Amino acid sequence: MATATSTAGLTRTLRALLIPSLALLAALLAGAVVMILSGDDPMAAYSGLFKGAFGDGKGWARTIRKTIPFVLTGLSVALAFKVSLFNIGASGQFVMGSVFAVAVGINFEGLPFYIHLPLALLAGIAGGLLWGAIPGILKVYTGAHEVIVTIMLNYVASLFGGWTVYAGGTQGQTPGPLWDRTAGAISETPDVLHSAQIPWLFGPPYRVHYGVFLALAAAILVWWLIFKTPLGFEMRTVGHNMRAARYAGIRVNFTIILTMALAGGLAGLAGAIETLGLNHKFAPEFGGAVGFDGITVALLGQTHPIGVLLAAFMFGALDGGAATMQFESGVPADIIQIIQALVLAFVAAPLIIRMIFRLRQQEDQDAGSAVSTSWGGT
Amino acid sequence: MKTSRLMKLLILLTAVAMLLAACPAPMPASDSGSGAADTGDSMAGDFKVGLVTDVGRVNDRSFNQSAWEGVVAAAEALGLAEDDIKYIETQDAKDYADNMQQFIDADYNVIVSVGFALGDATTTAAKENPDVFFIGVDQFQGEAMPNVAGLIFNEDHSGYLAGVLAGSLSKTGTIAAVLGTDLVPPVVAFNEGYIAGAKSVNADINVISTYHPGEISQAFVDPEWGAATAKQALDQGADVIFGAGGITGNGALQEVATADGAGEAVFCIGVDTDQWNTVPAAQPCLISSAMKLITPGVVELVTMASEGEFPGGNYFGDADLAPFHDFDDMVPQELKDLLEETKAGLIDGSIDTGYGN
Repeated sequence: MATATSTAGLTRTLRALLIPSLALLAALLAGAVVMILSGDDPMAAYSGLFKGAFGDGKGWARTIRKTIPFVLTGLSVALAFKVSLFNIGASGQFVMGSVFAVAVGINFEGLPFYIHLPLALLAGIAGGLLWGAIPGILKVYTGAHEVIVTIMLNYVASLFGGWTVYAGGTQGQTPGPLWDRTAGAISETPDVLHSAQIPWLFGPPYRVHYGVFLALAAAILVWWLIFKTPLGFEMRTVGHNMRAARYAGIRVNFTIILTMALAGGLAGLAGAIETLGLNHKFAPEFGGAVGFDGITVALLGQTHPIGVLLAAFMFGALDGGAATMQFESGVPADIIQIIQALVLAFVAAPLIIRMIFRLRQQEDQDAGSAVSTSWGGT
Repeated sequence: MKTSRLMKLLILLTAVAMLLAACPAPMPASDSGSGAADTGDSMAGDFKVGLVTDVGRVNDRSFNQSAWEGVVAAAEALGLAEDDIKYIETQDAKDYADNMQQFIDADYNVIVSVGFALGDATTTAAKENPDVFFIGVDQFQGEAMPNVAGLIFNEDHSGYLAGVLAGSLSKTGTIAAVLGTDLVPPVVAFNEGYIAGAKSVNADINVISTYHPGEISQAFVDPEWGAATAKQALDQGADVIFGAGGITGNGALQEVATADGAGEAVFCIGVDTDQWNTVPAAQPCLISSAMKLITPGVVELVTMASEGEFPGGNYFGDADLAPFHDFDDMVPQELKDLLEETKAGLIDGSIDTGYGN
């Protein structure tokens, strides 16, 4: 009996790995076709990419540095998926986390770092938490679909972030409250005080900070929450069948709001870590695509925390190696974005459709997407 | 049953692993073939020039492209090999430092960083690498460093030339400028030069100048506002409109291009590069553009770096008007002469635009 279950477990694990691997492989092959069509050499490009991501210490540093935010935004989306919620708002939650963290980080001079830094991180989490809770509350009490609300809140967050650092002007407008008065025409905050910066694990030129451990801890915590706590069980039950969960006495509304808030908190932590660890300030262009890429990372990771770690690492490597790829082979770094988009296309479409239409999943498809029926050979 | 299914999966997985492994496998071969950086290490005597773009492409028909054309032209003039010049297109504003580091690690001699936004990263890299020359396009140097040259422009000069052109062409006595935000000093310089130039040919001219009211991140990417503002100016009788403010200005140009009498009674003037090429939709009205000559500026600076006479601090590039293209016949010879004289006067200092006084 024990052997049978462990074999089944192994099969599931292998299958869970199989689908994303195939999606990634298909995307890389399709990327190669695009390169050939545009007269480039895919071998040179991919070897440059590999060298840029893992070729030396700086390469590894780039990859790890890029992986950190992907882990957290990926976890944010993945956690919501467990409750059949589609969090497209990681981008806005990321911005809110950045703004809140930086607001604490540039103030409170004189605090010791062991108070200031946690405070700034918590502020970032709180910013994201708040921004995630809003769509949860609206969904529960008004029925507003979280996809629509989170998309709209992304714009609100992005404009709010821009406003906080708005550089004023000679036409008599008021500058934003967080704007660096010495920055002239540039809309950005001052540098985060030293006591609120996440220390370097490896300093410049590597620039890898201790945030990497926060990301790992978050992944473990999310895994523990989902699979090892009663709350996680409730979340998964709501995700599987909301009506059955309600009959079983699970607080569905509470679970939805809490999950969205936690998802927001994870993306907010991503923003806080990026500002306190790497950029040391906030500027509107630092929002970036990392929130949206979190969707791809979560799907590529099969919405499992460990899978998200692996997927985030893959995306970190793709981004970390992109510049070297262009340097070595002359292939435009845009190809990386094409590949990342193709990964999403290959891995996600059926899963997204299932999420939006709330289709029930069959037990043995739990870890796979619809691709598994054609590739897995059941 | 279970076992055979597992076997199938294992076989599939192995196949995947092999395919994946096949990708990086030929690395050494292709590396020695195309990896200029590696071979370059052994020939440290080479002179190599790298370019890092702002978030944008090297064929953007704007700053990045002009700067890269400068690098290519300088390489030709200096007889550099094709492999000795390279560029990296920045994907993310956080990567400026990383991308410059790529060139530093590969022993490049000159690094061109394109755009105002790369200023901080360029200064930091220059401090850490005193042996490398940095050319910062559009980066004003507050504090001169021996290995950084900020290639900047007298925008008031090209604005002044545009103003002379606009003031001379206007029949209604009203001209307009649709501008990006006045948070950015070059935009103000363009405008004040424009007004001064127009007044120099027609003291009574009415200039409607409108700055975008938003913050920097919106002011240059708001074509709707640009178009609406241009429309308003047209309604107020303006017959020459100067669009200076990225895509916002382009919106103004395109609006004028579709107005009644475009190219006959109503004209537009572009900015920065020859917008005849960059905004084809503006061609019906585009009589010229107030240009910053980035390409020759980069050529001069790269050449000076190769000769060991690098000028640290601010380096002023030339300002000029773009060719008139299809409107060449409509511009009278005396106006062309006047523009030439004005240009010479601006360069030798006999004409003062009044900006910054």
